[in-house]
Amino acid sequence: MSSKQRIEVRVNGTRYVREVEARLTLADFLRHELSLGGTHVGCEHGICGACTVLINDQSARSCLTLAVQADDCDITTVENLRNPETGALHPIQQSFVDAHGLQCGFCTPGFMMTTLELLRENPDPSDEQIKEALGGNLCRCTGYQSIMDSVRLAAQRMKSSTLG
Amino acid sequence: MKPAPFDYHAPATLDEAVALLTRLEDEGCDMKIIAGGQSLMPMLALRVARPEALVDLRRLDTLNYIRDDAGTLAIGAMTSKQAAADSALVKRAQPLFHAATELVGHRQIRNRGSVGGSFAHADPASEYPAVALVLDTEFEAVGPDGARTIPADEFFVTYMTTSLETTEVLTAVRFAPFAPQRRWAIQEFARRNGDLALAGVALTLNVDGGLCRDVRIAAFGVEATAVRLTAAEQLLEGQPAQAAQFEQAGKAGAAQLDDPMSCIHASSAYRRHLIGVLTTRALGEAAARTH
Amino acid sequence: MAIEIHTLPEHMPNDALRYVGKPVNRVEDPALVSGTVQFIDNLSLPGMLHCAILRSPHPHARIVSVDVSAALAAEGVVAVISGEDVKRWCVPGFTAPEGWGNYCMAVDKVRFVGEPVAAVAATSRYLAEDALELLHIEYETLTPVCNPEQAMAPDAPVVFEERGTNVMLHRDYTWGEVDRVFAEADHIISRRFRWNRVGANPTETFGCICQWDLADNSLTCHGAYQTPRFMAIGRAASLQLPANRVRIVTHPQGGGFGGKGGPRGTDIAALLSRKSNGRPVKYIEDRMEYLLAGGGQSWDRYYDAALAVKADGTVTGFRVHLVDDQGAGAEGYGTISAAKPLAAFTGNYRIEAASYDLTLVATNRAPTYPYRGYGPPPHNLVLESLMDCTARELGMDPAELRRQNFIRPEQFPYTVPSGNEYDSGNYEAVLDRVLEIADYPALRARQAAARAEGRLVGIGVVGTVEPGVFDWNAYATVGVPGVGVPEGVKVGLDVFGNVSVAVGFSLQGQGQFTVAAQVVADYLGVDMAQVKISTASSDVALPHFGQGGSRLGVAVTGAILGACEKLNAMFCKVVAHVMQAPEESIVLRNGRLYRVDAPEHGMSLAEIAGLMLSRSDLLPPGVEPCPEATYVWTSPNRNAPDDQGRCRSYLTAANATHVALVEIDRDTGRTHILDYCIVDDCGTRLNPANVEGQLQGGVAQGVGAALYEEYVYNDECQPLVSTFVDYLMPTIHEVPMTRKDHIVTPSPVSPLGAKGCGEGAMHTTPATILCAINDALAPLGKEMLETPASPHRLWKLLHEDQATSA
Repeated sequence: MSSKQRIEVRVNGTRYVREVEARLTLADFLRHELSLGGTHVGCEHGICGACTVLINDQSARSCLTLAVQADDCDITTVENLRNPETGALHPIQQSFVDAHGLQCGFCTPGFMMTTLELLRENPDPSDEQIKEALGGNLCRCTGYQSIMDSVRLAAQRMKSSTLG
Repeated sequence: MKPAPFDYHAPATLDEAVALLTRLEDEGCDMKIIAGGQSLMPMLALRVARPEALVDLRRLDTLNYIRDDAGTLAIGAMTSKQAAADSALVKRAQPLFHAATELVGHRQIRNRGSVGGSFAHADPASEYPAVALVLDTEFEAVGPDGARTIPADEFFVTYMTTSLETTEVLTAVRFAPFAPQRRWAIQEFARRNGDLALAGVALTLNVDGGLCRDVRIAAFGVEATAVRLTAAEQLLEGQPAQAAQFEQAGKAGAAQLDDPMSCIHASSAYRRHLIGVLTTRALGEAAARTH
Repeated sequence: MAIEIHTLPEHMPNDALRYVGKPVNRVEDPALVSGTVQFIDNLSLPGMLHCAILRSPHPHARIVSVDVSAALAAEGVVAVISGEDVKRWCVPGFTAPEGWGNYCMAVDKVRFVGEPVAAVAATSRYLAEDALELLHIEYETLTPVCNPEQAMAPDAPVVFEERGTNVMLHRDYTWGEVDRVFAEADHIISRRFRWNRVGANPTETFGCICQWDLADNSLTCHGAYQTPRFMAIGRAASLQLPANRVRIVTHPQGGGFGGKGGPRGTDIAALLSRKSNGRPVKYIEDRMEYLLAGGGQSWDRYYDAALAVKADGTVTGFRVHLVDDQGAGAEGYGTISAAKPLAAFTGNYRIEAASYDLTLVATNRAPTYPYRGYGPPPHNLVLESLMDCTARELGMDPAELRRQNFIRPEQFPYTVPSGNEYDSGNYEAVLDRVLEIADYPALRARQAAARAEGRLVGIGVVGTVEPGVFDWNAYATVGVPGVGVPEGVKVGLDVFGNVSVAVGFSLQGQGQFTVAAQVVADYLGVDMAQVKISTASSDVALPHFGQGGSRLGVAVTGAILGACEKLNAMFCKVVAHVMQAPEESIVLRNGRLYRVDAPEHGMSLAEIAGLMLSRSDLLPPGVEPCPEATYVWTSPNRNAPDDQGRCRSYLTAANATHVALVEIDRDTGRTHILDYCIVDDCGTRLNPANVEGQLQGGVAQGVGAALYEEYVYNDECQPLVSTFVDYLMPTIHEVPMTRKDHIVTPSPVSPLGAKGCGEGAMHTTPATILCAINDALAPLGKEMLETPASPHRLWKLLHEDQATSA
């Protein structure tokens, strides 16, 4: 009864053609078919936000998306943040490190991908806008204060790097 | 929490989609349309929904638009909620619908979730059906017998049920022009920011010489589907747009509810009470709104 | 040779500490932000199968029959196990109190919704879940025991037949002349409290991959294990293997907060591997499984408590009567959670006498498990709420009432009536500072103005002691045999002067790898970048415990210092021998060993390590060619409990005072946190950023427990919480961005003077918020004595008069 579907996706710039079961979630596809384990799964029913990736540059919960729905899409995951040549951390990653915006780190990829979308659209967000953007991501460790600090720091750094 | 297996179809055109739905229906297949999937996916993961086939509308680009049709705002059913939230046209033409859209879930959900999907899903806690009831909203659907238009008050039937046939595809939502002087508000109560509302109220009214006119109030999150609070509307008609009247209207609206839902977060009595509070507050907000 | 563990950072052989005491970046973070850390579900082994577990839909039922034939024939299925297999191969898991345990899977009857009944190993998780639908279980339902009142009623159905009662444990402790102080009291302030179930809910659920080697009859378990050695012993016992044939490889964990470890899941995956001819079997608990039965439910408590108070506000006695609904068994060591309050029973106060009557009861709710704080959060809520009730009754300011009763700085070390010894503290300084940063008079003025407008605004000022660094003796009194808590490390150098540290635990979020790297780098005078911390599997690791009991930061510091002391002594010997100088003339300072009388004559660590590893001819007699040292640290000076459970259990006593300003919306019952301030004293702050993270994270969980989170059961004992739509953890919108400061009173007895600090905010926040809520309600003469103080509950309380008249 389960049908296999051929899909073509570009993940972090690499093209993949795969036959997948229709019911396979995008999260499971990324993690277990493509071995991109940085996208974590915390609830599988769309509440925690740990599995957030970008689909065509828009944040999405990969547990609430079927892999087949991502056919012909561009997917960006946390693995794409670091500079592939130098290995240097992205300013968002470095800011989370510097401002202690993580503890166990399990939810962090989701927070960073959400932050990436926020700062692309709004390089200078207010605290309220940061909260609004991150309201769909649960963190059980930090109590969010250092995450706020991290996002503010990232915004500051990304702005000055574009200016520079 | 993995979905049960299903067949999957992603028709390339609306005609193909309708033909496919008709064929599957004839075969006795239990099928389900998936648009953004933000409500359906959790139900699949929990296996509380286990259709034999999914018909995915993602390739129907023709259903992805926001346009002004001679003053009527038309939104294609596959338009994402975030696109609606980001649209200056939507914000200008239909401020209540726009505000309701911003209340839906979180950004990640709005990016994927479609405008049409929420209307068709008809979740009683959703803001959209209530908004549709207080605006002049029409739904366009295409089925094997062609296209038809369904007014909002005939669209929502009961809990997660609309008057769409299983072989029909919701193609667009149309909002009649929103008069610039018309006031509006939407208020809801949820345990946390972004949660489904335990109770909510969307309303529109005119304040004409200090008096309320053509008041329309709909409650959501309390009964099987969004419900017009006609008792509150009638009570306010021609009455001063003032706190005391809003308070009374809230009480009347709450009293009118048949049997509000109950869940671990809110009893029936509490929901009824919340509708009264939210109605009063939303009326105050709308009356105070300057254009 | 006695090893002296330094109790102050400045004792380390380094002129200028570069890392200890500074908010240095964490060594674990670059990999975590890159998404390359190997959480357990990122690991796949060749030939690996996937486990799915069928769980009971009934709270209490006899299993009449189990038919696995259809599931076994399903696509991709390799093995199925059920109670029959478990009965053949296992014994029930260890429990506290003993003898209240279940097998990893129900064998004859089910005792809670979510209890495993059968399990499938298949080639994918999807197929395994499909196969669960083909398992046919016939049940004969039994009357469930839904709450302690039902459980203790005569003729109640019995959850564990062989016990003949549902009362797991009853203990009655008396410390001091309780009857006298209550008889002589001018006021007796008593209340009943209800703390509903909450729990850990780390973002990563439990997961493991188990592989049974059929030839060697040994078991390897990779997984998210909080206490690896303890887990290995437990698995050996329940799976009937020699302990040295169980190897636990613990992986970084996406949070823990108590119940991380999954003994049942591990046993089930292990048995499936055994039945699959030794193929590795992965089990990843999903969120629904976690919420129903995953070791994430804690503290289901009914309190009846009283303070004895003199007319001047001196509190002289504290009586607590606790009935604790443990759920269906004691596999989560619930006794310990009920006993932990002994370590700081009377909080910050000089209360001379106290008593504790505790009854642990079995019901058909899910078994309870540890959660951050491990018992004191509800206890502190009771004590601190009673302090506020006392202040109201006496017309005193709640902050001043507390100040009046504080243990004074000169009284440390201070032995509380329940037996533990607090090492140090300065509670008044903490209180003064938090009142200052909160601007307490201004808050009171703001409250008065709001009250004049009819608004419900309240202030909570709550201080608690956080017992840190638990030890074996804390729980012996309630029937838990010695839970040893050693922490061992190995520190070694290579020929380039790099430092390797092997520990027995893995990452969980608190940053202990960073603390270990800071301490070793500052002791040996190397750059932190030269230090590599890694996790040893349980078969080769030194004795260790891992995370738990607000101790690991302190314990690993002690272990590192001990190992470094041994290295230091050994290196001095080597250098003295090479330089033909007396051993006493050689010192380690700033990363170099040299002659005190001729500092230009010395050797670098790399030179010493290189010499030791490559030139056996230059080694002094008796020194091995091994520039490595091990040390297993445990708290000094612990003693056995007396008949009333009194002993020196927790080594350190950190403390904190929180101030919250809240407003309750009269119409909706919703509580808004308007301001939140914290001043804490956990002694030396080894990494202040880590400490701050622990505090703020504890606040978030405390806010959850006080206002949002609850595992709800209906009258038939059916759980009504199975998703995150039902279990409401605070988001960024609900957690206050707190204002913080600190006082530093170094512990005189702990490594570098640091005190355990992982649980203090969770100990304090729920009480602070509830006290603030009750302060807000005071003008109405109403009190909220149940958690969480949800909008619905508060609304009912605010409107109960109308509700009854309506």
